[in-house]
Amino acid sequence: MDNGITIKVPDLIGSSLCISAEDGQKIFDKIEPLLKNGKQITISFKNITMLISLFLNVSIGQLYGTFSEEDIRAQVKVEGLSSDDLELLKSVVDNAKKYYTNPKGYDDAWLDEEEDENEQ
Amino acid sequence: MMLNIGTVRSDYYGFNSIARIAEESHKLLLDSVELNFSDCRFFEANMTAPLYAVIARLRNDLNDVSIHNLSSSIMTILKKNHFLNVFNMEVLMDTNQTTLPFKIFKYHAGEQFYDYLYSYMNGRGIPSMSQALTKRFRQSLFEIFQNAAIHSQSESGIFVCGQFFPQKHRLGFTIVDAGIGIRENVRRYIKQEKINSCAAIRWAMSEGNTTKTGNQPGGLGLKLIKDFIRKNKGKLQIVSRFGYYAFSDNEDTVIKMDHDFPGTCVNIEINTQDTSSYCLKSELRNDEIF
Repeated sequence: MDNGITIKVPDLIGSSLCISAEDGQKIFDKIEPLLKNGKQITISFKNITMLISLFLNVSIGQLYGTFSEEDIRAQVKVEGLSSDDLELLKSVVDNAKKYYTNPKGYDDAWLDEEEDENEQ
Repeated sequence: MMLNIGTVRSDYYGFNSIARIAEESHKLLLDSVELNFSDCRFFEANMTAPLYAVIARLRNDLNDVSIHNLSSSIMTILKKNHFLNVFNMEVLMDTNQTTLPFKIFKYHAGEQFYDYLYSYMNGRGIPSMSQALTKRFRQSLFEIFQNAAIHSQSESGIFVCGQFFPQKHRLGFTIVDAGIGIRENVRRYIKQEKINSCAAIRWAMSEGNTTKTGNQPGGLGLKLIKDFIRKNKGKLQIVSRFGYYAFSDNEDTVIKMDHDFPGTCVNIEINTQDTSSYCLKSELRNDEIF
């Protein structure tokens, strides 16, 4: 990849655990301006020991709120993820695409929910 | 005030019973509270975590909480899982090493939670599970732990404990907070003030729904856990305020409880003999992901 920049996740967050939204935001804040400048990015998860959807939602899923699918596909690569973590990332990406297509869509369906109990 | 605790297992009745204790005592302030176990024939170790949600609130209101009339067998269980240590009783060594002890974590203690899981799940009485199962189980626990940290809005922390049942080949783990509950979060988020606890849990279980603010996608954690539990043939229970939700044998059960549990409890039980791979046979390519 010409002029590619590698974002080493454990180096940036100072941990091998990708478990918090705050750390996900750190990664997002690094990636966003680089993508705006048209850079090619590789997000490296080498040496990560734990990864959960919360972290991926913020670090990568959030990109779909700013960039098109085409731009992300053309500019972003990931490495160092096991096959099951790649599937986790795929779920996060699919969920993010749906979310930014219609962020309130999920919620509105519940507005007609019948209420019947005497909770305080 | 004396609060009677009967037999408690991790089922609807057990949670309802703990919620009843919470309700009976929720107005107490600067009082003395005796938890009376004389009618308790069995207390499942995992249920110490939801019980502590009640105790945490009582202590937060400066009540003095004490424990009475524990049978010797229950006392042994609760000393082995470190629960009675919060009442300054000694810890008994768990010679079978089948316990993941009761522990209170602060909200930003994700790294310590990792250390806890690492030290109690490796090379002890808890069976060696397949690498894929171990990883998926720990990921699930982290999803729950971080959900509690983000959504509970309580200062009390996160209460956890786990237990392995060798004869059944099942490993249970419970994560509890004494926060505002799923119902309150959903009410605030969708601006629907009357949504009840059961409906709120169903809302939270639906893919993509999250009460996390900040224009970020979310709402995958519980769905991923449910997918895992389905494949593993395990069990998932969520109790929050008046709502009881259970998923096992491919079936969802949502029941309104008679009493108000002060917080949220997630209990997962997995089949430790599972050897599923938990991923597709062919690896996804980069261009298939984005």
